[in-house]
Amino acid sequence: MHTSISHHGRRASSQAPVTRRFVLRTAVLVTAALALPALPAGAVPEPLSAAQKTTLLRIARDIYPHEGFLDDAPYQAVIDAILIESESNPAVADLLAKGIEDLERRAHEIHQTDYAAIASAEKREGLLRSIELTDFFQKLKGGLLMGLYNNKALYAAFGYDGSSWETGGFIHKGFDTIDWF
Amino acid sequence: MGTTFDLSDGGIVVIVGSGAGGGTVANELSQKGVKCVVLEAGNTLSLDDIENDEWAMFSKISWLDKRFSAGGWHGAINHPTLPAWIVKGLGGSTVHWAGVSIRLQEHEFKMRSLNGDITGANVIDWPITLSELEPYYDRAELKMGTTGPVTGMPHLPWSADFKVLAEGARRIGYSKITAGPMSINSVDRDARPACQQIGFCMQGCKLGAKWSTLYTELPKAVETGNCEIRTNCMVLQIEHDASGKVTGVVYADSAGAKQRQKARAVCVAGNSIESPRLLLNSASNLFPDGLANSSGQVGRNYMTHMTAGVYAVMPGEVHMNRGTAVAGIVRDEAHNDTRRGFVAGYTIEKLALGLGFLSAFLVPGPTGWGRKVSGALEKYKYMSGVWICGEDLPQEQNRIELHPTERDQYGLPAPIVYKTDHPNDTNMRNHSYGQMEKIYNSLGSTEIYNLPAYPASHNMGTNRMSEKPRDGVVNRWGQAHDIKNLFVSDGSQFASSGSPNPTLTIVALAIRQAEYIAGEMKRGHI
Repeated sequence: MHTSISHHGRRASSQAPVTRRFVLRTAVLVTAALALPALPAGAVPEPLSAAQKTTLLRIARDIYPHEGFLDDAPYQAVIDAILIESESNPAVADLLAKGIEDLERRAHEIHQTDYAAIASAEKREGLLRSIELTDFFQKLKGGLLMGLYNNKALYAAFGYDGSSWETGGFIHKGFDTIDWF
Repeated sequence: MGTTFDLSDGGIVVIVGSGAGGGTVANELSQKGVKCVVLEAGNTLSLDDIENDEWAMFSKISWLDKRFSAGGWHGAINHPTLPAWIVKGLGGSTVHWAGVSIRLQEHEFKMRSLNGDITGANVIDWPITLSELEPYYDRAELKMGTTGPVTGMPHLPWSADFKVLAEGARRIGYSKITAGPMSINSVDRDARPACQQIGFCMQGCKLGAKWSTLYTELPKAVETGNCEIRTNCMVLQIEHDASGKVTGVVYADSAGAKQRQKARAVCVAGNSIESPRLLLNSASNLFPDGLANSSGQVGRNYMTHMTAGVYAVMPGEVHMNRGTAVAGIVRDEAHNDTRRGFVAGYTIEKLALGLGFLSAFLVPGPTGWGRKVSGALEKYKYMSGVWICGEDLPQEQNRIELHPTERDQYGLPAPIVYKTDHPNDTNMRNHSYGQMEKIYNSLGSTEIYNLPAYPASHNMGTNRMSEKPRDGVVNRWGQAHDIKNLFVSDGSQFASSGSPNPTLTIVALAIRQAEYIAGEMKRGHI
């Protein structure tokens, strides 16, 4: 079981911080879109263990794999935002707890081990396919979609320029240059 | 602070919506001395509100009121609450549109005469011809600043991304390859600057180089002193008297309070989901199926164009974001040739997506994740792609309906938007995927992605024009068959979708309709 990604090749630096407020806001919007059912009165969801939080990172990296391209930081930022949200929203806390529990049950049933211990990326993706329509999975996916691909700190890694009007657009910046045919 | 009109002033024309149709009618009428009030459901917007940020602008200007997708199209599953991607705001969808300004072709006005009865489709001819509309197309191009022979403005320069498409198109034998006609200034014109290839056209043009009623028709209308614009005013109902003549509208103002504005005539231009919904919600004893709906066609014949996307990874860098969103057009498949297995044709349009939208739409919906998707996104700067826009046959089953239980924030029934492909759409889409595969293979592409339709930015047909009242909702002037002083001024008038983007045709029809309305008012018929 590994908790960090081996550092080889070019990786988007985690030095430029992800705007926490932006990621938190996204987490809340995804929850609203999911319209989760309220918990029964008095129900207190189990807090996640350290191992479960690590598993969340593994799941996140499997939803949008970028080995050797992105390090853990942007994924962790999304998970942290969801965990913060779960501290004040019991429905989200319950969603996470039950979602991980369910995934681990499937992992043990099919692969006889914890999810994060499954060595094959394809097998992990296959397990996630079996839960992809659940609110738990969509909660993570929705947060990651914004946290990875709508994140100014990572634009350069993807070769995306972002906003251009402030610097006069691309008309004088080789917008019409093509060199491979 | 411009002219304001009293709620009790029954001499004014009320225009519902401020987009291509509503904004143009407002200005054309104002220039002719006709007094009008534009009621825009959305916020006031200015160039200061525009950001080069896909998701930020999506949240800021999209119509996000309660709506439901239904029918056989994938969006019923992948975009269940976003059937259409259009604007709620001053200027309407002219803030979001990419600027493509192609005229309908002769055959697109005559789909019934040309093709006869098509099983499963509800095809009719337009009650007007291309030659009747041509002078108004000229005026529309002058108004909007369309590149090409009418204005004399050169087409925009070719971006790297368009050069990729053009080269591939050339390699498979295509020749109708142009970076226009676009209603985007290629030179300074009409007090608006030339395009700087910013690349966020569909998030609002920060310079105003792209035509939008927001900074052209609407301020010009207000300047005449004959037009008042009220934003954050949602029209809820159109009222009529015992004879069926429209007397005014009820709307929710910016504080949410209900107001009644009297009117001499009403022009409905809320785009093709809200316009029929307004007529349906205005049902009365005299019009039990909805205002002006004796034909039962209000809300029906909904068309979005047959659309698709194709994105491919190229052997070299492209940086598709560095240039206009629709950087060029290929029209070799836009004609009518049934040997291809479908009637009418399609337009191939270069379309750049930013990283954000590509990640959401490459594989849309809940299943768009995993190694394949993330691997493709790592190659963003090598990607190039197109949007396919083709003739969409009208079907009665494709329609806007009032939800039986869901209500919007005003307590009115929310719309359900039904869309299902006709076999003609499917055959045409598959043909376009095949042609694009040839194009991208000719360039040495390593991976090609076929995308389904986006939430519809082109919405047409739901209050269509017809010769016979039983076949449609309005006549050759966009005037309701049932009610003389009720008009439809947006794309819901369209009797066919044609292959190209609708905005230029909406503007041409609006210029012509305003001329008719002003004339009829002068003659005392309205």
